[in-house]
Amino acid sequence: MTLLGADRLLAPLREGLRDVAADEADIHVHRRRAAITRYSHSSIHQNAVSDETHATVRAIVRKAVGVVTTNSLVPSDLRRALADAASLARASRPDDEWPGVADPEAIAETSSFHEETAAASAQTQAEWIGAVCAAVPKGMRAAGTSQIEVTEDAVANTRGVAAYAPATMAYLRALVLSDTYVGSGYAEELSMCSDALHPRAIAATAAEKCALDRDRIQLAPGDYEAVFEELAVAEVLRIMSLTGLGGQSVREGRSFMAGRIGERVTGENFTLLDHAMDARTIAVPFDVEGTPTQRVTLVEQGVARGPVYDRTSANAMGTRSTGHAADPSRYAAGGHAGHLSMTGGPATREQLIGAVRRGILITRFHYTNTPDPRAATMTGTTRDGTFLIEDGKITQALANVRYTMSALDLFSGIDLLGPQRLARDWWSSNGMGSVICLVPSIKVRRATITGSSPL
Amino acid sequence: MRQVTITSSGMADLVHVASLRGATYADARTVEREYEAVSVKDGAVESVTRTADRGLALRVIHRGAWGFAATDRTDDSAIRELVDEAFRRAEASASVQRRKVNLAPVAAQRGEYRTRLERDPFAVPQSERIDHLRAVDAASVGPNIKTRRSSIAAYRTRKHLVTSEGTDVSQEIVESGAGLSVLAVKAGRKPASRYDSRLVRQGGWEYVEHLDLVARAGRYRDDAEATLDAPLADERPTTLVFTPEFLALLVHESCGHPTEADRLLEHEVAFAGTTFMWPDDRGKLRYGSPQVSMTADATIPGGMGTFGWDDDGVPAMRTKLVDKGIFVGYLTSRETAGALEVPVAIGSARAEGWQHFPIVRMVNVSLDAGTTPYSELLRGVESGLLMEAPASYSLDDKRQNFHFSTQSARVIRNGELEGYVRGVAFQSLTPDFWGRCDLVADDWELHGFLSCAKGEPLQLMRVGHGAAHARFREVPIEVRE
Repeated sequence: MTLLGADRLLAPLREGLRDVAADEADIHVHRRRAAITRYSHSSIHQNAVSDETHATVRAIVRKAVGVVTTNSLVPSDLRRALADAASLARASRPDDEWPGVADPEAIAETSSFHEETAAASAQTQAEWIGAVCAAVPKGMRAAGTSQIEVTEDAVANTRGVAAYAPATMAYLRALVLSDTYVGSGYAEELSMCSDALHPRAIAATAAEKCALDRDRIQLAPGDYEAVFEELAVAEVLRIMSLTGLGGQSVREGRSFMAGRIGERVTGENFTLLDHAMDARTIAVPFDVEGTPTQRVTLVEQGVARGPVYDRTSANAMGTRSTGHAADPSRYAAGGHAGHLSMTGGPATREQLIGAVRRGILITRFHYTNTPDPRAATMTGTTRDGTFLIEDGKITQALANVRYTMSALDLFSGIDLLGPQRLARDWWSSNGMGSVICLVPSIKVRRATITGSSPL
Repeated sequence: MRQVTITSSGMADLVHVASLRGATYADARTVEREYEAVSVKDGAVESVTRTADRGLALRVIHRGAWGFAATDRTDDSAIRELVDEAFRRAEASASVQRRKVNLAPVAAQRGEYRTRLERDPFAVPQSERIDHLRAVDAASVGPNIKTRRSSIAAYRTRKHLVTSEGTDVSQEIVESGAGLSVLAVKAGRKPASRYDSRLVRQGGWEYVEHLDLVARAGRYRDDAEATLDAPLADERPTTLVFTPEFLALLVHESCGHPTEADRLLEHEVAFAGTTFMWPDDRGKLRYGSPQVSMTADATIPGGMGTFGWDDDGVPAMRTKLVDKGIFVGYLTSRETAGALEVPVAIGSARAEGWQHFPIVRMVNVSLDAGTTPYSELLRGVESGLLMEAPASYSLDDKRQNFHFSTQSARVIRNGELEGYVRGVAFQSLTPDFWGRCDLVADDWELHGFLSCAKGEPLQLMRVGHGAAHARFREVPIEVRE
């Protein structure tokens, strides 16, 4: 995909919006080049690239909103889409809570674009995979994914908003499996820069875990001390985000924060922000409505401070949008906290494990869900590296376990925190979710295990 | 940047060019998707949306490896770049490859497939849809109902596939559906939700009318209100009777996914996982009780997994996956059948859109109907629970260890339905769970899912699942406040 840049991308949007036959209107454009190479048995089996453009136009007539999407950026096509949207709006009913399109505000410069990453080739991706496969010891095999994504986002509206940002993402994961016993290990890296990926290190970490993951035993259900590595914590944060960090979920009483803002909801060692502007994350500095994305303190030292808002939920709650309107084709309206930052600490991995008398280490989860959204309860099974810790040392590989617990209870028992790193939960790693986290490993006093998978 | 439609001969030219450049196989696929939806929240129109997405994909096997490229532009320069990209991807694939792609043979196909419609859902005036939803919304109002949402949607997909082996097939698939949800809130009680987002079928507006959304909204309101004040269930092993709606999801998660053949090849091992149903287990592994048989069938009229041909150009088929409790079959693509050295038992290579590489997906995967009336099945329950609709669900990476909770559960006593209980969930291992099934009723019905998630990049696939009420004995349950 050739980057269009701000002027070339915004020009057709402005042209399309000129003299629009509606009270107001806006256009959000998302252009994306996604190059994904997948491998298994140390061999590439899927290698796909797609270039796509999606323009979402909204036209508002007497507070009724019509929405139309198209793949085209030709001004006449955008005008046609706006006319269709206006026609839908006229045939609709007014929305008394419609807050109006966004007013122009200063938007910070983006820091999530890396030119060399945007230019990374299919061969580069294959070389990363080749390096992983070559680094895996004899008797093991590797599988995983390499991904390069280049995006451009732009928003323009009839009040003069004109926002633009490019972004890049580089991602490499390796699941290493044993050829001779049931065992696996996993590692991944995520960055806006392709040169921040280290294929051999990823392979080494995954292979080291795979080597430890042999002769598994089953763990009896119960409460255990635990070390959650970063990917496992990211999974818990995703559950919190989807169930409780949006303004609409608070308004409707579905959030763990509902009626509890200003109250203690977790232990003091837990602080959570949504911070798209942190230079270490990958983000666009505005939302799909064109509002600059703000840093929002969600939970501060265990006390609930409030959710993120889009324009509609903010209007309904008597506040201002925090710039967290989400893609309406993927998320319910009301605000989406997609760039989480959980405060970390200085503990090393050895210190986290060393602080456990008898407990478990969890590398990551698979297919989590929430049986009780209001309590931010998560259930899911572990995978690719679950170990028993005894007297501060990993002593035994475990069959995957089912974990079921409220995130609030889990984060009430944090004893130690490691440094933050950029990570995504299992769902978000393939695009089902859209949460990216700066997240630490943690040692907690209690994690509730409710079952075990077979050996 | 302008999109134009590529002609059939243009697609044939594209495939020909790929063959001339050395591809041993090539296919070109166009997909145009349209979607219209109206949603109403608490009596007001929440959104009115019309989306369109169209593009072109080229898939090649070159040097024994796949290359795939897709674009929403079809001007000359974009087409040239598409071909170059597909070959660059294939060259890169070939540089890290231990086994060449081998497609199971399938005869060249030609023809058209169209969904049969009584009334095109796109032709229904928006005002009629909004009026319908406002009536549904009014039926959802209850003393403790805090939030009400309802929606109606129409989907149209036009696909055209041309391959280097002579296949040239066109399809136009139309789907209609609705969504309903209510949230009941009362001071001092845990909020109760009742919802369904799987009311979708290949067909026209007649399906929306068939759903009788107004009556359904009243039932959902009553379920949520009753659950709000219901006592917690007793935590003990008990007889569970599942509705077809609930079983549709259980079949999807615990039978459909583990029989996907790409899991055997570890294509999904790093993300979606593998399976516990391996080739050596075929004909031997006891998956469930003798009452449990499951079938994959891409020919069921109205199914969300029904088509003329899959995206490999394999014609719609049906095959048994579980026969009287024994695991017997897989969902396959040409590539996975070729790698496993078996014939294509059912064509299941499907891509969500033009931008996606076809992978093994479910079609319509169903629990076969029994012969016992539901009323008789219920009479055989002295004490148990009717599990009406699923809430949360979570599976392990082999689809073996699962956890489901329920939105709404009713007490069964001496064969009669009584009041509601809340807080019911269960976790089990797949063969253990299906092994407890002692009866399947004859009231089989078809359900549709819009968004089965799999693959990288994520692909959300339409799939269908049929089931009848079924009874499971001595199932341990969990009860949580």
